[in-house]
Amino acid sequence: MTVWGMVLGAYPRSRLARYTLRDRERGTLDFSQYTSRLLIIHSEIIGVQKAHGLPIVVDGMVDWHDIFRPFIMRWKNVSVNGLLRYFDNNFFYRIPVFTGEPDPLEPVWLPRIRQFKDLAEPSSLKIVLPGPFTFVNLSQNVSDLSKTELAEAITSILKSEIELVKEENVFIQVDEPLVGDRRLSKEEVEEYLDYWNEIASLSSENSAIAIYFDVPQKEVFDVVLESKFKYISVDVIDSKRRAIELLGKTGLPGHVPVLGIVDARRIHEDKLDEELLTMIKKLSKESQEIVLTTTTWLDLIPYTYALKKTKILSKFVDIVSEKLGLEKRILWR
Amino acid sequence: MEYQVPRKFPTTVVGSYPKLEPAKQALRKIRKKQATPDELRDLFVEAIRGVVEDHLWAGVDIISDGEQTREDMVVYFAERMNGYMPGEWTRIFDNVYFRKPIIYGKVEWPEPLTVEDWKIASSFAEGRPVKGILTGPYTMLEWSFDLYYGDRREAIIDLAKELRKEIEALVNAGAKYIQIDEPALSTRPWKEEADIVKEALKIMLYGLDVKKIVHICFGKIEYILPYILEFPVDQFDLEFKNSNFRLLPYLKEYGYDKELGYGVIDVHTTQIESVDEIVEDIEKIMNLGILSPEKIYIDPDCGLKRLPREIARQKLKNMVEAAKIAREKW
Repeated sequence: MTVWGMVLGAYPRSRLARYTLRDRERGTLDFSQYTSRLLIIHSEIIGVQKAHGLPIVVDGMVDWHDIFRPFIMRWKNVSVNGLLRYFDNNFFYRIPVFTGEPDPLEPVWLPRIRQFKDLAEPSSLKIVLPGPFTFVNLSQNVSDLSKTELAEAITSILKSEIELVKEENVFIQVDEPLVGDRRLSKEEVEEYLDYWNEIASLSSENSAIAIYFDVPQKEVFDVVLESKFKYISVDVIDSKRRAIELLGKTGLPGHVPVLGIVDARRIHEDKLDEELLTMIKKLSKESQEIVLTTTTWLDLIPYTYALKKTKILSKFVDIVSEKLGLEKRILWR
Repeated sequence: MEYQVPRKFPTTVVGSYPKLEPAKQALRKIRKKQATPDELRDLFVEAIRGVVEDHLWAGVDIISDGEQTREDMVVYFAERMNGYMPGEWTRIFDNVYFRKPIIYGKVEWPEPLTVEDWKIASSFAEGRPVKGILTGPYTMLEWSFDLYYGDRREAIIDLAKELRKEIEALVNAGAKYIQIDEPALSTRPWKEEADIVKEALKIMLYGLDVKKIVHICFGKIEYILPYILEFPVDQFDLEFKNSNFRLLPYLKEYGYDKELGYGVIDVHTTQIESVDEIVEDIEKIMNLGILSPEKIYIDPDCGLKRLPREIARQKLKNMVEAAKIAREKW
């Protein structure tokens, strides 16, 4: 039985990253200067994760303004509208506006994987995709497409992103933060099960669905459990009581638990208390593998704290490995 | 001289206004630690005067100081209250950041924080009322990192007790309209959260003979609405335009009967709403038949700080023109 860690998503922007993006926007940095500075920034982030023994690493995605933007900027028939609050954060995303069937002009992930793959070794890279449920419901649809047709179209493009990097030994994560909304009913989520499964089946052994910011209702989580994603990531800290109760009730039968136990929205020093250890112990008996992660992307806290949180995550992997007698995994393949 | 606020559809602002050049210059000097208090005061007086002149030019009835001295709605208070320390840059959207402050000790109100700006604005206001505006305790906590309390309720109540002192200072200075900004409240629309805010508002507003307003914006306000109707306030100031008036049917459903700050100006777009468009939007709420024109205050969705000054001015002007037409119509 093994335990390992990975950061859930993007890192915040260091001073260099902020200035790089600003200078590019102002037109004072040409494209080659911009890409070489980004390479330095992303390399540092990858290096930090490798140094902390994480077998799967993210490239940092510091050039992403929000989870949807890199995709819609490369798709035809989608534009961006005003700002909307992103869940309960003091952070806003630009609302994607679909004016027709989305049509990709170029992939988001393939060039990034090619650029960072060697840098990441011996760790493997993770690609993060906005899930169709969150994508459709956090967008505006002014096209002639029905909601179902739009979900199908988005799913199809997300699948093509995966197809293109299939040979690259990457980990695939589909983010569905909206599934954590406790007001959702089973019916609202159910129709997306097929789309999730289409995505998951492309890479069934190394794909995850990630739910964060809150903990879904049991009936909604039951739908997630029916999915073919091998890994299911749950935010355990934001609503700790509800998360522990849910996982205690349902477990994660047939899936590998990915437990968000490092608080990515607050800057305090996290503690791995007995309650969490007991929960991990219980789940580890049902799975050959346990993955520890951050509750969400790290880009909602300042850069220095994100680096500290990476260290804490690594420390937690060591503690769990030692206390529960699980083998620490440092290589993905 | 006292200004007579129209009985029907008074116009107002939520608070912030684009930073005028003297304010930008002052804030730059503060960052570089390059200015004397007198220099800063002169620059801020000039900026606040500019804001008030724009409000008067547009014809707004109840105005503000434009929050010219406030780098950010949370940071301004946090930097001046004991128990806080400066934070590092945290992203709000795109490549825009704020220095999210850190609570590291028991929060304490040291001295009046907004009263001087309120007085400056009032001195140029030609008798028009100026809102006393402060960021509420819920938002102060939500948009800070807390390394001291660890208990949300305790932190919010402590902040409320301290901010009460600021409100008393504003009221003692003569403010008749007190607005507490709680944009973060829409982000966690749970009853237990609303209950904490209700308790905090009781502490902050108890026994004060002023117009008591709470501003909430940009989120699923419809989810929080049923829980906030019992808040001890006279008016909720809410965003409508940006969310395409999605909230309107819920007002009817929940029997809303307080005064309403009715947001008809989208602060996130530079497209200027026409007078006709705003009149049509006022018609939307009148058609609901739940509030009389005396209870409806016409204003933007939120502060105008992210807009270019010329756009903000013209938006306000059109809003005031539309309110005039509405007064004749209803």
